Formats: sequence, structure tokens, C-alpha cells
Amino acid sequence: MSDKCSCEQPLVPTVVEVVDIKDETPDVKSFYCRLSEGGVPFNVAPGQCAMVSYLPVGEGMFSCTWQEEQEYLQFAIKKVGLLTDELHAIEVGQKLGVRGPYGNGFPVEECKGKDMLFIAGGIGLAPLRSFIKYCFKHREDYGKITIVYGSRSYADLCFKEELFNEWPAIKDTQVYVTIDNPEEGWDGHVGFVPAYVEEINPNPQGLIAVTCGPPIMIKFVLQSLEKMGYTDDQVITTLEMRMKCGIGKCGRCNIGSEYICLDGPVFTLAQLKQLPQEW
Amino acid sequence: MKILSKDKLESVLDKLSESAEVFVPLSRANSSGFYSWKNRNPEKERLMLDALNVYLSPKNVGFPQNEKMYSIIQSGPNAEIKETFEDSSPRIIFGLRACDARAIRCMDDVFLTRGYEDSFYKARRDNTVLIGNACYEPGPNCFCQGMGVDPVEPEVDIIIRDTGAQGYIWEAKTPKGEELTEGISSLLQEKELKAPELKAFPTQVDYSGVAEKLKGMFEHPIWEGLSSACQNCGICTYVCPSCHCFDIQVKTWGEEGYRFRCWDSCMYTEYTTEAGGGNPRSTTKERFRNRFLHKLEFFTERYGYPLCTGCGRCIVACPTGINIVNIINEVKEASVDV
Ligand code: SF4
Ligand code: SF4
Ligand code: FES
Repeated sequence: MSDKCSCEQPLVPTVVEVVDIKDETPDVKSFYCRLSEGGVPFNVAPGQCAMVSYLPVGEGMFSCTWQEEQEYLQFAIKKVGLLTDELHAIEVGQKLGVRGPYGNGFPVEECKGKDMLFIAGGIGLAPLRSFIKYCFKHREDYGKITIVYGSRSYADLCFKEELFNEWPAIKDTQVYVTIDNPEEGWDGHVGFVPAYVEEINPNPQGLIAVTCGPPIMIKFVLQSLEKMGYTDDQVITTLEMRMKCGIGKCGRCNIGSEYICLDGPVFTLAQLKQLPQEW
Repeated sequence: MKILSKDKLESVLDKLSESAEVFVPLSRANSSGFYSWKNRNPEKERLMLDALNVYLSPKNVGFPQNEKMYSIIQSGPNAEIKETFEDSSPRIIFGLRACDARAIRCMDDVFLTRGYEDSFYKARRDNTVLIGNACYEPGPNCFCQGMGVDPVEPEVDIIIRDTGAQGYIWEAKTPKGEELTEGISSLLQEKELKAPELKAFPTQVDYSGVAEKLKGMFEHPIWEGLSSACQNCGICTYVCPSCHCFDIQVKTWGEEGYRFRCWDSCMYTEYTTEAGGGNPRSTTKERFRNRFLHKLEFFTERYGYPLCTGCGRCIVACPTGINIVNIINEVKEASVDV
């Protein structure tokens, strides 16, 4: 699938050029990367990640929020520390290193024919978006699509154009957006994501729920889904850990005997329950 | 059978050093480790084939403590990766023991299997020949046998067996070993010698069932007590022949720089601290538990055998007396339905 095999030297990045940068929120930017000669260095499936390196500073593992085939890889990156601070300061034309794709990705095939419920908080929409957009690209393959998304405030909602305009206009699609606290000019829902999901209460029958967000949100969402009668096989999440190698060698991203970089980052709740509770 | 008489030992090492870097157990300063035979100081440093385990394992030979990976031009639109530094120069590790040979098998499984081959490790490993020294008199901290390692059959290309004054039995075990043997055959003799009998292990360990039992002990109160003396100094991980965790860092000057990797330790807070400041293993107990579970349970679940080879180095090196043999014994004795 990937034209340039990154497997020969899996720890050595390929240089790409940043061709566009878009502000998503005050602390999230989208970076569009492609090879200088055009095209992408490798293909990334929904839910897979890539190691993005700003050469003078370091590398970080980011979920690829979308790949437009042969056009670009898009990463939505939140400013949280040294590397991401530096990344937020770069300009179009900057060269970055990328290596990947890493991880198992979402079970897009297994979910075909199902209704889909996507539940995200904050930057957690970035990984889910690759799956959401994949579903829309193959719209006939999936049933009803429900998206529940929340952030601290209106300004902190990522991908607003898609959220408020594009996605709700797509056939059999419901988009529910909430913010944590009331604010002027917002007449939508106010409150936390897990409670909102319970309020919406989508019928678990024939449905797969996929969730990503801050760890505390994920924990509560999993509890809510359990309460609403979802089985552990019906619930999928994607995890984060500090990573260095991305290929199951450097040791640090383990939960029990699984390496999140290699065996994850996507797990069903049934699989998660087999692991030590260290996430 | 082929015999290497003791008076020919140095000639063999000299001969081998003509075409490869030969790492042998040497005393150095007040310590010991695997160092280049050619670059030794013969006045001060002693070949230690008779010692069981030297202080430092040969881990460094295949997996250097610091390793330059690739050079970069670091900034702006001109940024690029210049050169990668896979090192495929020929090496021989001469005289490693079965525990250290097993540790190399652990590294091979980590670095060369499960979807990705680490090109830096592979370049060195493909060009390394292992000459193992069979053990017949286990030392006070040796417990390899309990961990499933056969001390008299190290997993290597050539085994040497010390029969005393008569010399070493020389057994090529792999095509790589046979090829090397051919190159020095004029220095070997043909005669029949008998290998010694393996003596009893002073330290007895029974690892059987431990991985399975540990699966149910993640939340067990035992970890609180076992880890209480640990200072998170990381020494146990550095001296361990099979601890393979690493970090990737960058060094820059002006427009240039390089990325390198270096040994890291799961005993350090930084190891799992996320960019946003969160840390799934923020306490000593959690880090300690992860290290021993990785050795005794997680690796076994993944690769089918434990990541501890019973070399005993961490027992000798730990400043607070933490002892993996005791840990195994305590786990075996612990009651699990608490
Ligand atoms: S854990 Fe200790 S005894 Fe086991 S291989 Fe490592 S250093 Fe040797
Ligand atoms: S050597 Fe001992 S004190 Fe240091 S990290 Fe290891 S177990 Fe802890
Ligand atoms: S990031 Fe190195 S093992 Fe997962």
C-alpha cells in the first residue's frame, strides 16, 4: 500500500514539507504535509498514527486526522509541551520528518453495515475524524451515524466547519455538540459529554460506539455506555502513551504485555478489560 | 573433537582480531566488562574467561549505550536527513556466558521480530559472531537454570568448554561458527577431551507458574513492600543484559545536528511522562512493578520466555539490596485472593 517502504529503516523519518497550516482552536492547529515532489510518503489508515519530527527538537506520535490520497497527510496538533509549542511556531514551507504509519487503526471493515456512534472530547475528535470521514467517503457501507462531541468552550471545538455545516447535511447523520459551561452567543447544549450521551441514549442494537478524549472523559463515557446496555465488544477506544520508537522496541508505551504503539492504539473495551488498569 | 589449548588462546584472539573487533571479558580499573581485545592494555587488564560474569554485560556490543542514528540539517525549508549510521563492521563476542547469550536472544526477538526490524540493531547483529563459554560451576548469584537457560549450552555460534589445563573443547554450532572455525583451524588441535560435570546451583529458583500467577497480581499489596527500598536509580536496568529500553534524543549545533538513541530506564519518572505532564506510572511502586512484571510476566506472554536470564548482576549492583530471586520467591508464596 505505501509506495515508499518506511520499513527498511523504521526509525529514520522521511522529510515532508508543510504546505498549509490552519488554526482549529486557540491551541490546536492542523498541519498539512506532503513530499516536496508531491504525494505522501506513506498511506495511513483511519486511526493509525505517525511520528512527526521537528528535526531540531524531537519527535512525537500523532494520530493522522486525515489523509487525502496522494495529496497530503493532516495532523491536528494541540499545544501541550516543548515539541508542540515549537510546532505551533513553524510556518508554511517548513520541513518536518515523518515516519509511520504506526498502530492497528480502527476496524473499519468489521464495522461495515453497522450504525456508528462517535463520542469525542476536545482534541480527541482528531483521531475519530479519520474514521468519521472514512465512513462518509464510503457512506453506503455504514448505517446511521451519530456524532457526540464536546469541548470546554465554543472556541475549543475543533473542525467547526465540518461539525456545524458539512456533517449534519450528510444523509442519516446526527451531530450533537456540547460545551462545558454556558457562554454568550451559544444556544446549543451545555454539559459534559458522558451525560449528554446518556441523554441522547442511542439504541445499542446493531451499533458500534467509538470514543476518544481526555482519559477521564473516556472512563466516564465507558461507564455510561455500560449503563446504557452496550456490550464490551461494541465499544472501541483509542489510547495514548508517551512514545519514542513507535514500533514496539523502546519499551515505554506498554500496558501489560501490549505495546500501545504497535498493538494499539485502538482497543475494544473487551480487550482493555484484559489489561492492567494502568491507562 | 577440536581443542583450543590454553597456550594458543592469545594467538586465536589475535588472529580473530585481524578481521573483526573481538570483545572479551577484561578487567578494567576496578571493574570488568566486555572490551576490545586489540585495544586492551596488557599491562593492567586481565582476560577474565575464568570469571563467571564480569560486571558489565556485552549488551553494549550489539546495542550501544549511545548510538548516533542519523545526521540532519535542522532548520527551516532546508531541513533534511543527511546520512544514517548503521554499523555493519564485523564483531565477535568471545567468552560470553549462557545467561548473556540468552539476553542476546531476547534482544533479537525485540529488535528483529514483530513486524519491524530495527535497522541499526540488525546491521550489527548480522555481522556479529557469538562464542560462548559453557559454565560448570555456578556462582552464588547465578540462577539461569531456574529461568530456563542451560548453562552448558549457551545459544551461540561456537561453544568453548573449559576442561582445565588441557584446554577448551571448541564446538561450532552454526554455519557462522563453522566458517569462523575454518579461518583459525591451524591453531586448533584434534583430540578427545571430556567436558566437566555441571555443579549444583547455590541459588535455586523455580520460575514455573510465575508468569501465570503474576497475571492476577497487578493490584496485589505485595508491590508496596517489595518496592519500598527502591531508589529508582536505574542501576538494575543498566547492568541488565536484557533490558532493552531506549530513548531517542537530538543534538544540534548551528545548522547541523544528529539524532541518537541511548539506553533509558523504566525506573525513571521521565520515561513515561507525557508531553502534557500526565504519567501513568508516577510512583516508585508503579515503576518497580512494571519492571519486574515486564521481566517475569509481560515478556513471557509476548515471546514465550522471561526477560530475566538469571545473570545475577542486578542483585550485586542494587544499592538497597533488592533481589529478583526474593521477588520470585515472594510471588510464589503470596496468597492471591486478597
Ligand atoms: S533482571 Fe537481573 S538477574 Fe535478570 S537478567 Fe537482568 S540483571 Fe540479570
Ligand atoms: S538498582 Fe535497586 S534501587 Fe536502583 S532502581 Fe534498581 S531496584 Fe531500585
Ligand atoms: S513507543 Fe517504543 S515501544 Fe511503543
